Amino acid sequence: MSNSTTDDSLITTEVQTDSNDGREAPAAGTAVAARDLDVFYGDEQAIDDVTMEIPEKRVTALIGPSGCGKSTFLRCINRMNDMIEICRVEGDVEFGGKNVYDPDVDPVALRRKIGMVFQKPNPFPKSIRDNVAYGLKIQDFDGDVDQRVEESLKGAALWDEVKDQLDSSGLELSGGQQQRLCIARAIAPDPEVILMDEPTSALDPVAASKIEDLIDDLAEEYTVIIVTHNMQQAARISDRTAVFLTGGELVEYDDTAKIFEDPEEQRVEDYITGKFG
Amino acid sequence: MATENPNADGFGEVSRVRGIAFEYLSFGASVFGLVALGVLLVYVAIDAFDLANASPEWLLTYFLTLVVPFIVFCLYSANDRDVTRRALVALGGGLVAVAVLFSAIEALLVPIPRLNWQLAYLFVVAAPVTAYLAYVGSGGRVGAVGFGLLGRLVGGAALGLAVGTLFLVFDSLVWFLAYTLGVLPAVGLYAFGRVRESPRARTAATPVGLVGLTAAVFLRDVIATYPSDLIIYLWTIAVPVAAAGALLVADRRGRVAAAAVGGVPLAAATAGGFLAAGAGLPAPTVLLAIALTGVPTAVYVSRVVDGGEGLAGLGLPLLLAAGAIAGALIVEALGVPAPNPWLDASFLSEAPSRTPSEAGLYPAIVGSVIIIAMVAVLSFALGVGTSVFLEEYTPGTGPLGTLTRILQVNIANLAAVPSVVYGLLGLGLFANLLGLGIGTAVTAALTLSLLILPITIISAQEAIRSVPDDLRRGSDAMGATRWQTTKNVVLPEAMPGILTGTILALGRAIGETAPLIMIGAATTVFRAPDSLFSRFSAMPMQIYTWAGFPQADFRYGVVAAGVITLLIILVGMNGTAILLRNRAERGS
Ligand SMILES: Nc1ncnc2c1ncn2[C@@H]1O[C@H](COP(=O)(O)OP(=O)(O)OP(=O)(O)O)[C@@H](O)[C@H]1O
Ligand SMILES: [Mg+2]
Repeated sequence: MSNSTTDDSLITTEVQTDSNDGREAPAAGTAVAARDLDVFYGDEQAIDDVTMEIPEKRVTALIGPSGCGKSTFLRCINRMNDMIEICRVEGDVEFGGKNVYDPDVDPVALRRKIGMVFQKPNPFPKSIRDNVAYGLKIQDFDGDVDQRVEESLKGAALWDEVKDQLDSSGLELSGGQQQRLCIARAIAPDPEVILMDEPTSALDPVAASKIEDLIDDLAEEYTVIIVTHNMQQAARISDRTAVFLTGGELVEYDDTAKIFEDPEEQRVEDYITGKFG
Repeated sequence: MATENPNADGFGEVSRVRGIAFEYLSFGASVFGLVALGVLLVYVAIDAFDLANASPEWLLTYFLTLVVPFIVFCLYSANDRDVTRRALVALGGGLVAVAVLFSAIEALLVPIPRLNWQLAYLFVVAAPVTAYLAYVGSGGRVGAVGFGLLGRLVGGAALGLAVGTLFLVFDSLVWFLAYTLGVLPAVGLYAFGRVRESPRARTAATPVGLVGLTAAVFLRDVIATYPSDLIIYLWTIAVPVAAAGALLVADRRGRVAAAAVGGVPLAAATAGGFLAAGAGLPAPTVLLAIALTGVPTAVYVSRVVDGGEGLAGLGLPLLLAAGAIAGALIVEALGVPAPNPWLDASFLSEAPSRTPSEAGLYPAIVGSVIIIAMVAVLSFALGVGTSVFLEEYTPGTGPLGTLTRILQVNIANLAAVPSVVYGLLGLGLFANLLGLGIGTAVTAALTLSLLILPITIISAQEAIRSVPDDLRRGSDAMGATRWQTTKNVVLPEAMPGILTGTILALGRAIGETAPLIMIGAATTVFRAPDSLFSRFSAMPMQIYTWAGFPQADFRYGVVAAGVITLLIILVGMNGTAILLRNRAERGS
């Protein structure tokens, strides 16, 4: 196959354009920024000198082949990498204008401002209500917990399905419902940024598309950073796309339309067309 | 074609001889072990209850008044024709088979000591069939209700006795102050916070409670006059238990039912307490037993009546009581010779003696109960604390990680240290160095806790490790501190496993004799311990001592009665703990 022309549209971009039309310019502020970020696991480098600015209230997709450091990058933002003992981070990650790796930053307090949704749904073995209220409970939330639970479940498009069984276990839900429960749990304490690491890869297409719609809505209020292996998904839901390639290098980072229609780098085009990675 | 004759074109055959041999060998070995244990228990039971002297008429009477009605109840609950048919065949066929086999063996081979065919039938056929039917019957609604009620009656009484026993050594006056000044205000504040949605009241509850508890300890000697023990137990245990029961019911059935569920047992307990005091019985224990039996029973009955299903099951306790009374009356009327069991009420309630027929186990039972209660609390708290620290708080690498690993290996090794060595350690450390006294209850409790600590720690670690990391990461990512993650996610999930380990370890502790001998526990005491520092004896110690007495009556009858008592208490404790654990499992 020829690999130079720009018009062999790699991915249908129609879907993508019509889902993002609500959030075109004006240019948003920066929610998260990485500057000269290097991450090492022991001696092995997982992120190599990444600098990027992630806009506020937009969906930013991180794509790239397996092992290129997408999850690692995501975990740098809420300092979940601190949990991995051999992991070492150099450089800055700014959130709200402050370097989260400054010594005076409390990672626990930081994580209360950043929600995270994992690849595998991981609801707690508690009732649906307690799952959603978890963040409120640990932060000693003072307001009306039940109301917040309802809002969050509505925000995660799950309310109608579970409103009569709030006291039953979160584990009794289907996989897709569990993932939406995890999203409700993440948005309940009203964070500023939501990180999602392949949130739909364990789900069937219908459940996945529900979550995609949801992500689109979430971007009205939150900054969403999502890792995905699914090109169509990235094209459909994101405003900006960052392509990482093996070695933890950020190869290209641009508007999603540009990345999928006319990438600067040959390697990116190869990756998107499936020739590599 | 392959489908016509699958063997013709020769897939060949793979030998499974080794697997099959292994299967049958291990099956045979476990059956042999179980049968040996069963035979031992049968003989111990025969000795303890003097069944060898039970006349066939006596056995038949009780079989008809107790066992048959119970079996009918179970069959009625199971409501399954197949089961009924199979049960009748087993009972009837078993009768013939056992009688014939037994007589044949006695006539042709060897006489079987201390058994007759009726007893053999009782143990080999009647008991297992009844147990099986009880199991099947409990599956039906009626049976479930009956056993639920029975369990609450027996469990409540046992709990009442156990709590009463604990107050023999623990200071009831401190408890009175602690409850009045600490527990009650704290619970009140918390409840107020829940109802009024006031987080401030809720957070204030813990400090208020702690201040109250501390105040109680200091005020203990300052205050001069106290209410009588009976009033204290009424106020600190019976009333709150009744209130809790009433609250449980109030939600669904309204005020009248709630008042009845709380009030009736409370009134009965109070009346029972004062009557017992008048009659010279241990009034507080009577009060506690009635309150702790009555309230759960009342709550349960109210629930069952509310549900409207399986009401007939509520008659099971009556059925059994009536059967026992009828049996006794018939035996009396016919003048049937009855066995004279070693294990009877006086054995349980009296002190040891030089004459076998008057020997009792009471002081040793009290000693064991107190020690086990302390060991349970200590080893659970220490075990969970240590395992949480080792699993959740220490890093896996670096110098601290190495240290943890060394600690880990040593804990595993400690589990293999013989119990005599722990006894020596207890003697040196607790009895002498810390001055807690030789042969006292605290020393024993601390030593036994130390002995089972490695087992509790290792099993708790295992349980904590089996909590999926996903859950921890999920909680961490929500901005939970390590402690919040541990408390809210890890521990609830690991609790059933932790409890399993603790239950097993406690079972070991209750039967230990060697460390008790090492710390100088008395072989025989004639009064129940009345403080943590008094000399005590424990059931295994007492049994061991009896086994060395020259009189045969001690070595067979009294020892057997002691062993059966020990086993019943052990099985009862473990059973309760397992039930609670299963609840915790289902609750999560
Ligand atoms: N906990 C860890 N310990 C050691 N090395 C790790 C750890 N996590 C990730 N790595 C290494 O870091 C590199 C990047 O991993 P990362 O999980 O970020 O990749 P990814 O892009 O998310 O891959 P995937 O798409 O398969 O999830 C890999 O080479 C991986 O081996
Ligand atoms: Mg990943």
